Amino acid sequence: MLPTTWSRLSCRALSSRGQRTLSLFSSSGPSNWSKVVSDAEKIVGYPTSFMSLRCLLSDELSNVAMHVRKLVGTQHPLLSTARGFVYDNRNNLQMRGVIVLLMSKAAGPNHAASDLLAQDMVSGIYPSQRNLAEITELIHTAFLVHRGIVNLKEWTVSDGPLKDMQFGNKMAILSGDFLLANACTGLAQLNNTKVVELISSAIGDLVQGIYYENSNNTEENSLTGGVDVATWEEQTFLSHGALLAKSCQAAMELAKHDKESQRLAYKYGKHLSLGHKLNSDLQPFMKSSVGEPVSFSLSAAPVVFHRQIVGQERWHQQLQQAQTLRNQPDYSKLLAAVKSEKGMSSAVDLCCYHGNKALEAIQAFPSSEARSALENIASAITKF
Amino acid sequence: MAGPMWRQCRRWSTNCTSASLLETLWHFNCRSVSFSASSLGWPSWSSRPGNEGQPSSSTQINPKILNFTSSLNRHKSRLLYPTLQSCCCRTLHSDAKLKDPFTLAQKDLTSLYDDIKKELFVSKEELKSLCDYYFDGKGKAIRPMIVVLMARALNIHSNRAGDLLPGQRAIAMISEMIHTASLVHDDVIDGSDKRRGKRTINEVWGERKAILAGDFILSAASMALARIGNNTVVKVLSQVIEDLVRGEFMQLGSKENENERFKHYLEKTFKKTASLIANSCKAVSILVNSDPEVHEIAYQYGKNVGIAFQLVDDVLDFTSGANHLGKPSAADLKLGLATGPVLFACQQFPELHAMIMRRFSSNGDVDRAWQYVLQSDGVQQTNFLAQRYCQEAIRQISMLRPSPERDALIRLTEMVLTRDK
Repeated sequence: MLPTTWSRLSCRALSSRGQRTLSLFSSSGPSNWSKVVSDAEKIVGYPTSFMSLRCLLSDELSNVAMHVRKLVGTQHPLLSTARGFVYDNRNNLQMRGVIVLLMSKAAGPNHAASDLLAQDMVSGIYPSQRNLAEITELIHTAFLVHRGIVNLKEWTVSDGPLKDMQFGNKMAILSGDFLLANACTGLAQLNNTKVVELISSAIGDLVQGIYYENSNNTEENSLTGGVDVATWEEQTFLSHGALLAKSCQAAMELAKHDKESQRLAYKYGKHLSLGHKLNSDLQPFMKSSVGEPVSFSLSAAPVVFHRQIVGQERWHQQLQQAQTLRNQPDYSKLLAAVKSEKGMSSAVDLCCYHGNKALEAIQAFPSSEARSALENIASAITKF
Repeated sequence: MAGPMWRQCRRWSTNCTSASLLETLWHFNCRSVSFSASSLGWPSWSSRPGNEGQPSSSTQINPKILNFTSSLNRHKSRLLYPTLQSCCCRTLHSDAKLKDPFTLAQKDLTSLYDDIKKELFVSKEELKSLCDYYFDGKGKAIRPMIVVLMARALNIHSNRAGDLLPGQRAIAMISEMIHTASLVHDDVIDGSDKRRGKRTINEVWGERKAILAGDFILSAASMALARIGNNTVVKVLSQVIEDLVRGEFMQLGSKENENERFKHYLEKTFKKTASLIANSCKAVSILVNSDPEVHEIAYQYGKNVGIAFQLVDDVLDFTSGANHLGKPSAADLKLGLATGPVLFACQQFPELHAMIMRRFSSNGDVDRAWQYVLQSDGVQQTNFLAQRYCQEAIRQISMLRPSPERDALIRLTEMVLTRDK
């Protein structure tokens, strides 16, 4: 695995391309991203459909919403997840659904399939594909919620009352389960057992990815070993890519498009997700003006690259040097260390690689407004 | 001394005046079984004055319960129970080869846990051991047992050899997987630290990993389900997953009104326990037979046995010793849940009402509620209700062509009622 990553990187003109991309960092990434996604939303029509509305308006979730109010003032992660649904730019939240819809539209109607009627399409998308996009969102959201379960044995006084943490967990479990259950019944209604199997396997992938993520994020792990770049990519695919890749593929299957379209759609979803994750991992390294407090995960892509480039021993030294009195690493010191070597530029290169791979995957689809939007999204993840 | 006396009076007055839950329940029950009930020496309210005088009001109060257990009501076959009993006994004594359900189902279940572990394909060792944790062969596997017996009974009913179809075998496995996935989540929600005599997953590995393990088992079940390749079957079993969650949500709230409360309890019981059994039975039926009436028989058997099973479980929470069920007794009360015995006891001891509403959260509530339940007829009444559900299950399954498996399913209802763990 490792050699492939490296050869792939060395194939790319590291010096010149790397520099050029770096010069783009000053342009503010997120707003550009928002624009690309919200433009795309207009192409596919209003993305929120009946299924997620039904979920949001259900007795069960309004019950949760009521209870979540009790968590205000506590440290339970469910609170910030819930806040994210309301206040965060929703472009990130619904990105997966929008991409599934764009992909459906870009592939177009299938005139060969007799049981699919073109007149059922709404802005070029079959109803089943719309439902699939919703299901993708439900699953993604369910795991945002389940990611935020707190281990009660790790509870400390600073987290607030233990009772609140227990209660927050209960709400997080129930609402995540509720979303997942609705995804299951939604999937069943698609009347395609291949799609049910594919998306169920994506749920399994997500679980495994998050499980790895958890064990890598422990402090102990970042000191003792951590993963190499190839493993990082594998795990990131599971936790951040499999759902979108398989949903894109499933959208093709629902329109009975051939294996090759399915393969390309999968490829677009996979590379786009990996590029997107690299992009967001790179953000703290990009916009650091001096003196501003920075923080990043020690399993972020640039750090993983850096660790692999400088070797385990150097990395340990650097970690120790950056150690402050409060047992928290001084992130600006670490950031400088990562920046001084090729860790960051390697991550940028890998990001561009995935962006390009995503672009490449959709070239076989006929030129259209939807395809352009997919291209814009793929380009946007390589800009910072 | 004054206390008990007062309670006696109070109890009498409740029985006499309020057109309450018991009454409504009784009304739909007694329309079909007042005969057998009184022969069972059933409590005073069965022969209480005025009972015959006000049937309309109480049946009106209760259309939803009636609907829920409509099958109990639909067939006013007073004689059904004795008839069945004798028919049951006849098979019992004449068929020398008759085996108990566990033995009969055994041949189809030998590889159950191995098959499940194969479905739980995951490379990370730790996650794998979490997922396999409860598939250690120590569970009762009662759901797969019902499913394979039902499948064989239905296959014979449908003029085939009894042997299981691959899809039916898969459903037996999936039913246990869905059940286990929900157990794993329930244990986190309830903060349980023991299950089947061992530490729970959340106790050993923490809450976050436990939730992920549950999610993983569910995804594996869902994949296996999809591979059966039958859209109707996928829909039927996906409904179960939704029911399980909705049932869990229903446990969060309590209803002020007593009739509402009992309806709520039965509906929750259906969703949390019976839906899985009912729909698994229906799924194996869909795979072998195209007749919706046969699917309905399978479904109704599963539903009625499932509800009876849970009612008995709720009774055992009060009557069983601490170690029997692998969980401490009065566990439900401690979780704030008012189950059948409490709801019935509340009829005789209205003091329970306030405790139910505050979910037994005040100091001493659990002990007091426990005492009230034991002093009341709550346990017997819940058992009686369970009996009624079992009778209906027998009535349903008896519509299938006779087979050893069908008769084992009939016997199973007895075992559900008499189990003490």
